Amino acid sequence: MPLERVSKGFKDISMSFQTNPLNSDLIALKNETAISRSLRNIVLTVPGEQFFNENFGSRVSQSLFENIDRITANIIEDEIKLSINNFEPRVKLFTVTANPDFENNAFDVTLTYQIIGADVPPQSLQFVLQPTR
Amino acid sequence: MPLVNFSNLDFNQVKTTLKNYLKSNSNFTDYDFEGSNLSTILNVLAYNTYLTSYNANMVANEVFIDSATLRENVVSLARNIGYLPRSRKAATAFITFFIDTTNITPRPSTVTLKAGPIASSSGNFGNSSYVFSITEDITVPVVDNTAEFNNIKINEGSLLTSNFTYSSRNPNQKFILPNIGIDTDLINISVKTDNSQFAPSTKYTRQDSLFEIDKNSNVFYLQESDDEQYEIFFGDNVFGKALEDGNFISANYIVSNGDAANGINAFQFAGRLVYTQGSTEYAVTSGISLLTTAGASSGGDSIESVDSVKKYAPRIYASQNRALTANDYESLIPTKIYPETESISVFGGEELIPPQYGKVFISIKPRFGDFLPNLIKQNIKNKLKKYAVAGIVPEILDLKYLYVEIHSSVYYNTNLAPSADSIGTLVSDNTKKYADSSDLNKYGARFKYSKFLNIIDNSSDAVTSNITKVYMRRDLRIAVNSFAEYAIGFGNAFHVKRASGYNIKSSAFKINGIDQTVYLSDLPNNDLKTGSLFFFTLPSLNSKTPTIVRRNVGTIDYQAGIVILNPVNITDGKEKDGQKIIEISTSPLSNDVIGLQDLYLQLDISNSAFDMIIDEISSGLDPSASSYIVSSSYDTGNLVRSGGPVTSSIDSVTTSSAGVPSTTTATTSSSTTTSTTSTSSPSTPSSGGSSGGGGGGGYGGY
Repeated sequence: MPLERVSKGFKDISMSFQTNPLNSDLIALKNETAISRSLRNIVLTVPGEQFFNENFGSRVSQSLFENIDRITANIIEDEIKLSINNFEPRVKLFTVTANPDFENNAFDVTLTYQIIGADVPPQSLQFVLQPTR
Repeated sequence: MPLVNFSNLDFNQVKTTLKNYLKSNSNFTDYDFEGSNLSTILNVLAYNTYLTSYNANMVANEVFIDSATLRENVVSLARNIGYLPRSRKAATAFITFFIDTTNITPRPSTVTLKAGPIASSSGNFGNSSYVFSITEDITVPVVDNTAEFNNIKINEGSLLTSNFTYSSRNPNQKFILPNIGIDTDLINISVKTDNSQFAPSTKYTRQDSLFEIDKNSNVFYLQESDDEQYEIFFGDNVFGKALEDGNFISANYIVSNGDAANGINAFQFAGRLVYTQGSTEYAVTSGISLLTTAGASSGGDSIESVDSVKKYAPRIYASQNRALTANDYESLIPTKIYPETESISVFGGEELIPPQYGKVFISIKPRFGDFLPNLIKQNIKNKLKKYAVAGIVPEILDLKYLYVEIHSSVYYNTNLAPSADSIGTLVSDNTKKYADSSDLNKYGARFKYSKFLNIIDNSSDAVTSNITKVYMRRDLRIAVNSFAEYAIGFGNAFHVKRASGYNIKSSAFKINGIDQTVYLSDLPNNDLKTGSLFFFTLPSLNSKTPTIVRRNVGTIDYQAGIVILNPVNITDGKEKDGQKIIEISTSPLSNDVIGLQDLYLQLDISNSAFDMIIDEISSGLDPSASSYIVSSSYDTGNLVRSGGPVTSSIDSVTTSSAGVPSTTTATTSSSTTTSTTSTSSPSTPSSGGSSGGGGGGGYGGY
């Protein structure tokens, strides 16, 4: 039986930079929240955006200006899978579904994944991908 | 853990340091995962650190001339030690033309060639056209209805003018010539008291140092500012006259294309000719002859490179504008005296055997050609006087070239090559690269025969083999019309192929007392280690029936590779770079030719030959090799080299009749020699078309 990684937990800083009113510490994101934030960061980063690591991120933004159809949705799904497998070692990805939302010119993306080494149920993350200019 | 490593210049190293810090000092754990927010913050911090350290490193680099990379910083650092980098140099040419004024009315008494464009390169010169200009008007008198402009110097480039008005109220005023590519030797500055037509104009001259300058000197100084532009500045009433408020400064200068315009030898007139009669100015537009030029344009050069500035500025500073040590000469001559220097070697007379104390010997390889003309040598010596110290006499020597010539028969497979020409081009391109490489072209070089064969074989898959013969050649410079003894060393042993002589070959030359052109060759003694030299004539270049006209004119040492000619008065020879020479060539004992001691080894591709021969066996045309073309591995061919003076009449020379030995008397300043020669071919060659020299200078000798 393979040795499972057991982590003490994940703790990340929150980009809102708000402080805890009681002890004036920065608000922290923990475990599942930290990881879901990380997944969103990876998907929404355009390759080349991060200095000296030009492969980091996913190319979904390129697909957002294509025709909204099942083919584009497939491309987005593949791209998300690829980037998360590459850059987020803490999760085991189960499914990625991107559903075209024709009304709003957007894709509804749902990810389901297992956090490796943490004793938590499988997670689901939903977000909307929309072209912005 | 404290931050300890401050010297990281790499982004990832900086980020790792930050991560290590967080590992021991923070509650946060996600710094290791690229997607985390913390990682984004670390990126920002690391990038900021990276930028700061890059800037600090750059600033530190640019402070020292050794490590500076930006031209303006190198130039600025060089300026601190009084060094002005050499500017772009305009190519120059000398043209001659005249004007027939017969049909011009009213009759001019003088004709003026106005400053500005004078000539343009005629025809297509590398798909571009160049304009040549003069910086000042030239006026010549009209004599016998002809105005003659003789040998006027024209400089490639356009003549431009920049004007400035000095204002004392503006303390930061700068006089910057707003063009790049200015030749600083061709800047003329004149200053008028104000900008009115009749204000007197004073010419200012350029000065580099503070010597011999007082408060009344009309001088200007020059410095390179940003982007290869030049800034003029004037004196301060202590060193040089200062400007006064309202002074009008006019700068004429030439913006050239540098070395791109070298080698132009055909010009078209494009100037403006005028003359004044009464107070009216008339233009001359007719009666202008074609332009003739003495030689192709030369001397154009690009601006001094950053590397060169870094190399020479400290050396010029070390020399302190005086030439004392060998290094001083090596830095002063290429920068201040003769910019066309390609390489220079200087050694003190004390290194010679026997020593010649108080002398310094300079040998210069010019960028164009092999030898320095005597006029330029004298010029360099004159200019050196400015830097000379008492008790040191500079002597300019010619580089002693030892040329290697190649005659190669290259066999190729026709199935793999489109044509013989394409293989020939590949082979000659590759050998040219080898000829230009630093394996050769230096003191102590060695021509490596096996490497060279490899180069030919590997030029193309189609080349199946090659038979390559190696010759070495030296050019003997002759003292025309005076008795002189000549000795020339090859530094390599000679191959004695024939005990009957003719192991060395020479180009044609003329000696006093014999009208016909003669050649030099050798006759080995019985030991085949030494031999004697003789002069002979030939009815034609490829003739095999020589007539010896004078024996025992010198000695030859085959082992040491030295040829010594007894005193002889040579009156003419082959011309090369304006010098009369005799080419002497032979086969070396070893195919690996070395540049011994002061010999400068060069592979002379222009005098080499590459014959393309179809390899009929490999090509499948002749599998049984019955008509295989055989190439000799040894020297065959003519007894002499081509080139040199041509015999005008051969009849008048040979006086012998059939069966009677001809007698020739030679007189030298030191001794009188009478030698009797029995010729095996006593009959007089016919004069029709036979000549001693080819005059072409090609590779006819082999």
